[in-house]
Amino acid sequence: MVIPAAAPDLTSRVGSVVLKNPVMSASGTFGYGLEFTPFYDISRLGAVIVKGLSLLPTPGNAPQRIVETAAGMLNAIGLQNIGVERFVREVVPRLADAGATCVANIYGRTIEEYEEVARRLDGVASLSAIELNASCPNVKEGGIAFGSTPEGLSTLTRRVRAATGKPLWVKLSPNVSDIRSVARAAEDAGADAVTLINTLVGMAVDVRTRRPRLSNVTGGLSGPAVKPVALRMVWEACRAVKIPVVGIGGIQSAEDALEFLLVGAAAVQVGTANFRNPNACVEIIDGIAAFLARERLAGLDEYRGSLRI
Amino acid sequence: MPFRRPRFVTGRILHNSGHGIFYRMDVSIPDRIEFLPGQFAMVSGWPGNDPLLPRPLAIFRAGGVRGKGTVEFVYKVVGRGTALLSGLHGGDPLQITLPLGNGFELGREDRIWWLVGGGVGFSTVFPAAVALEARRADFDLFLGARSRDQLPPREWIPGAGVPGRAHLCTDDGTAGFFGPVTDAVRERMDRMKAAERGRVTILACGPREMLKGIAILAAAREVPVQVSLENHMACGFGVCWGCVTAVRDGEKTAYRRVCKEGPVFDAREVVW
Repeated sequence: MVIPAAAPDLTSRVGSVVLKNPVMSASGTFGYGLEFTPFYDISRLGAVIVKGLSLLPTPGNAPQRIVETAAGMLNAIGLQNIGVERFVREVVPRLADAGATCVANIYGRTIEEYEEVARRLDGVASLSAIELNASCPNVKEGGIAFGSTPEGLSTLTRRVRAATGKPLWVKLSPNVSDIRSVARAAEDAGADAVTLINTLVGMAVDVRTRRPRLSNVTGGLSGPAVKPVALRMVWEACRAVKIPVVGIGGIQSAEDALEFLLVGAAAVQVGTANFRNPNACVEIIDGIAAFLARERLAGLDEYRGSLRI
Repeated sequence: MPFRRPRFVTGRILHNSGHGIFYRMDVSIPDRIEFLPGQFAMVSGWPGNDPLLPRPLAIFRAGGVRGKGTVEFVYKVVGRGTALLSGLHGGDPLQITLPLGNGFELGREDRIWWLVGGGVGFSTVFPAAVALEARRADFDLFLGARSRDQLPPREWIPGAGVPGRAHLCTDDGTAGFFGPVTDAVRERMDRMKAAERGRVTILACGPREMLKGIAILAAAREVPVQVSLENHMACGFGVCWGCVTAVRDGEKTAYRRVCKEGPVFDAREVVW
């Protein structure tokens, strides 16, 4: 008699935040989450991480904002968003109604603005955590100024840490010479987790018009093209800090997600893949469960960080 | 039930063939869809990650029976994505997200409709012509192309059998009106009596310069215009914010998503 195995346990923890599975939507690729409700039940996700929020609504960069590159894309959206106030009033209740676990990604032009956004979100009960965008490459004030050195990141993290009691995740830029030192700086300044990578700064030009293809001239590279770089950085960060590391970068399939979990990521975020396949996140969740079942593993904890070197 | 809310489906190509410079692709999908003229789909079908993103294509026609639908697209090869699409064959799978965006507002009012299509833009306005024909509305088609061989095949033109309905325009004078479609629209409009002109609504899709020309001449004559805009898109359903266009927002300008707030806009709102 064959005893059917129980479904593998995908429960994942990012510090004190318990996720039903390790798959989250990456900020900036998932709108405010509600846009996905025609496609699937967003409560199925480990968490929904919404588009970066600023204190006031932000208009974003002029078009052209995106350009496709080999196995990837460059974007320079410029953090267009509805502002934290409207988010709290109009979006949060609807995400809560949808049963979604929600994490708010925030940014500011100054440290004071970061603090203010964090304070405004502090009392919003249904938010599970705040993700600090210290790494947007497309606006001067989008955090990169703070996020590209350990000292800058440390100051920012410390100040925002003091402004909120919510679990604080710090999203790191890959555009640094040593990811380990910035990850450690975030940890030492009180971050509950680090999430990486944000996009890699890139550029595309038109040989005929002799102009950059993006109005912002440079943009952030994402998609499968960045995955090997992301995987290496996540692996390095996992070995450098004790706090959880959330892996991001070019994940398109369950196998891609498993690679990040294998090198030690507590959970993952799926970004650009959502553009190509709106169901990408749930297909990845199902694929991880199927993989664990095939490998006869009872849960993800038996697999995570088990890289053999 | 036919679906109207966007879905991601895997379809199967029934036919995909060239007609002059255009391709027409007929795809079977798991269910029937209901779409509004002007709505679009995000389409990909080539293997691998390069190019990475699906391509936006206007929904040209949809049909089918319960539990089994079909959808048709007309497209032109403009880059690598559409070149790869043109190489797909009957039986190949196709990933499609549809229906997307806001279509044309056809209202119920008894208007004189002028449908203007430049280049492959006809593929967006023809569905509106089909809907107007079905309700026996008064409509004219203005189709612009560089040359005779770049006009849509005559058998694709809705209601082409009605004399005087389809106004063909070519930049090189090889067919119909010799000159840009905007000139043909202006000339015809200026021959109308004011009362009659007051009943005209224009629906237009084509190159941005053409749309701008139509918008300007129509605004000067107080004729409403709905334009269907194009842009590069990553997602097609409002989450990447990559496809924005500048629109008037009170005294200021704001960026609106072509895929979500559009692709159809009131021409007066658009900052050209």
